Amino acid sequence: MNPPNPDAPRPRQGMDYGESKDVQQVHAAIQREKQEPRIGLEPLSIWLIAIYAIAIFCGGAYLGRFSGSFNGESLDPLVGEQPVKKAGAAGAAGAQQATELTPAERGKKVFMANCATCHQANGEGVAGQYPPLAGSEYVIHGTRRPAMIVLKGLEGPLTVKGSHFGTAVMQPWEKTLTDQKIADVLTYVRSDWGNNASPISADQIAALRKELAGHPGSWHEADLQAIPADANLPGGEQGGAAQKPGAPPQGSAAPATPGANPPKP
Amino acid sequence: MTSTDIPLKSPGSVTDLSAAEVEAVERALIDASTRVPVLMFYTSAIAWLLLWTVLAFVASFKMHAPDWLSSVSFLTYGRLRPAAVNVMLYGWASMAGMGTAIWLMARLCRTTLRHPLLLVTGGAFWNFGVVLGLIGIFMGDSTGYQWLEFPPYAAIVLFVAYTLIMSWAVLMFSFRRGDPMYITQWYLLGAFLWFPWIYLAAQVMLFLTPVQGVMQAAVNWWYANNLLFLWFGSLGLGTAYYMIPKVIGRPVYSYHLAAIGFWTYAFFASWTGMQRLIDGPFPAWMVTASIAAMILCAIPFATVSLNHHLTMRGYFGLLRYSPTLRFNIFGAMSFTAFAIVGVLISLRSVARYVQFTEVSVAYSHIGLYAFFSMVMFGAMYYIMPRLVGREWRYASLIKIHFWASAYGIGLLTLMLLAGGFVQGLDMDDPTLAFTETTQALLPYLRGRSIAGILLTVAHFVFAYHFVLMLLGLGRTASVPTFLNPVNPEPEDAIAH
Repeated sequence: MNPPNPDAPRPRQGMDYGESKDVQQVHAAIQREKQEPRIGLEPLSIWLIAIYAIAIFCGGAYLGRFSGSFNGESLDPLVGEQPVKKAGAAGAAGAQQATELTPAERGKKVFMANCATCHQANGEGVAGQYPPLAGSEYVIHGTRRPAMIVLKGLEGPLTVKGSHFGTAVMQPWEKTLTDQKIADVLTYVRSDWGNNASPISADQIAALRKELAGHPGSWHEADLQAIPADANLPGGEQGGAAQKPGAPPQGSAAPATPGANPPKP
Repeated sequence: MTSTDIPLKSPGSVTDLSAAEVEAVERALIDASTRVPVLMFYTSAIAWLLLWTVLAFVASFKMHAPDWLSSVSFLTYGRLRPAAVNVMLYGWASMAGMGTAIWLMARLCRTTLRHPLLLVTGGAFWNFGVVLGLIGIFMGDSTGYQWLEFPPYAAIVLFVAYTLIMSWAVLMFSFRRGDPMYITQWYLLGAFLWFPWIYLAAQVMLFLTPVQGVMQAAVNWWYANNLLFLWFGSLGLGTAYYMIPKVIGRPVYSYHLAAIGFWTYAFFASWTGMQRLIDGPFPAWMVTASIAAMILCAIPFATVSLNHHLTMRGYFGLLRYSPTLRFNIFGAMSFTAFAIVGVLISLRSVARYVQFTEVSVAYSHIGLYAFFSMVMFGAMYYIMPRLVGREWRYASLIKIHFWASAYGIGLLTLMLLAGGFVQGLDMDDPTLAFTETTQALLPYLRGRSIAGILLTVAHFVFAYHFVLMLLGLGRTASVPTFLNPVNPEPEDAIAH
């Protein structure tokens, strides 16, 4: 707060409000204030002119580079992407991006969107409620068992990795996910969190879907135990081998460079 | 100037006053004539400010606690956020800006405000329009266009009210006396003429005779960006151009800089807006023209910032004392930040990462709050004592207001900028699922809510202080309320 400082002489100031009505209500705030602002006439600095020049140059260059000759036909994404133009395959840009993800990467997205709620992002499940996928004997061996479970769902009780899951229920996904998505998510689940099993292709899933078309409900533990652990779907690479060479899903996407960031169209 | 030059309603005892006192009397008469409308605009503005604070705070919490209060339809995020944004834009910011503009216009035109009650009517209509629009949004009647969510029937009321307010300000200009136009008048006049242009254009092209398809998005973004630039930007810059030299008692550094700054701003700013639509389904030249205009806006941005800086050079010590100066300088510096961020995020190579992220929210906050609102707070700290004849009661409350506002908006923009960049990089990574990108954003959104607490404190403290002033409970001392005690000697240098 401000000490009033009564000793200092204060010409034209120090009026008491509300007491002297005859002084045209010119209260102190108005009396003491400085005169209305004026404008100086300093010249422009050379540096400022340099900034102007740079801005004009950059603005002009931008206009030249990205304006698409002011043609109504040149739509925005094409202009920024010189490589696409050069390749003469502008229309294929979308398809190109889709194939640049490996099946496992696509599968991860499917997993995060549909499965991670129960099985968790780390594939460990929830103790006593949702079985783990990491290291699960139903996941890491043959391709047939996991594909069956995802297509038709599962009803507990169930024992996974020595732990008992009494009420575990998994919904059937055959109506929700396409063959490709199921294949991708299985490929992902079988290859992450230390799992190291072979990929699964959409064709294999499609074949299994046809085969199981008449099956009414979800599987129970006994149904699954009836299938040998290392039973594989016909076609594709057999067994739980560690290698993942040019299997069918990757074969069609040969130019893919996994991990590289594709340019945004 | 002699006593007979006062054509205003001058009392008889004027004759024995000195020239300086004659000017003071003139100012007193002008201020008295603007008292009722300006107080009315300020009071409404602060009421809207509080409502905005509450709405925005709840909306901010919903970003990380989506289930909270979601069982009532009008408290869902989809209605709360547009309501908050529009209260901020048309309630608080526009009311505060117009109130300040009326006072500045009367002062600078050296003319009393004739028939102030008509302005009060305009203000009341404007308030009515905002209330109507708010009810519309809460009832689910929002138009869905960014920053134009008020349903058309509210927009009509707003526009009629605006016409009334604007004609009065412009009328005052035609009655001006004496000195050549000051920079502030350029900006205010510009703002008063630009706002109806952009508002009417947007209303006509979106609602009256809607343009086809994606062009609506183009109109919408052009409007939103220019509401920020041509309306709030001009009002804020005009106010800062008055307050800064006025408080330090020194001329603005350079007329040339001011003129270049104003005209290039007027010319380039109106081209912007489409840079928010990079990669949209538009002819490339439309977007590119806006980006180029943003780059060219670096000219007025740099010029105005430099002009303010050089005006202040050697006087920065006064920031210790004067609330008005402190808020205005904070605003002027934020304007520079606003300019830099604005130019950067409009470039295609940067927009590739930050488009559709929280960065654009941060950008709007820098412009609307860190720059515009802070300048308006500063102006209110200057103008209020002149209208009510009392000084601000507590220096401590002004300090709390300033620091809570400054830290609040600083934290908020930092959180949104950093979070937005992280979000943008995540979304650009095709191996990450969308849910993962949003989860990575959560800590930043919580940080924003913490900043919201600071801003809430600032606004309620300010509103309390303002009400004290309105009730005539301010101090009756003859010296202004400084932020820190002033020795007798430099006091004269900063009397404001």
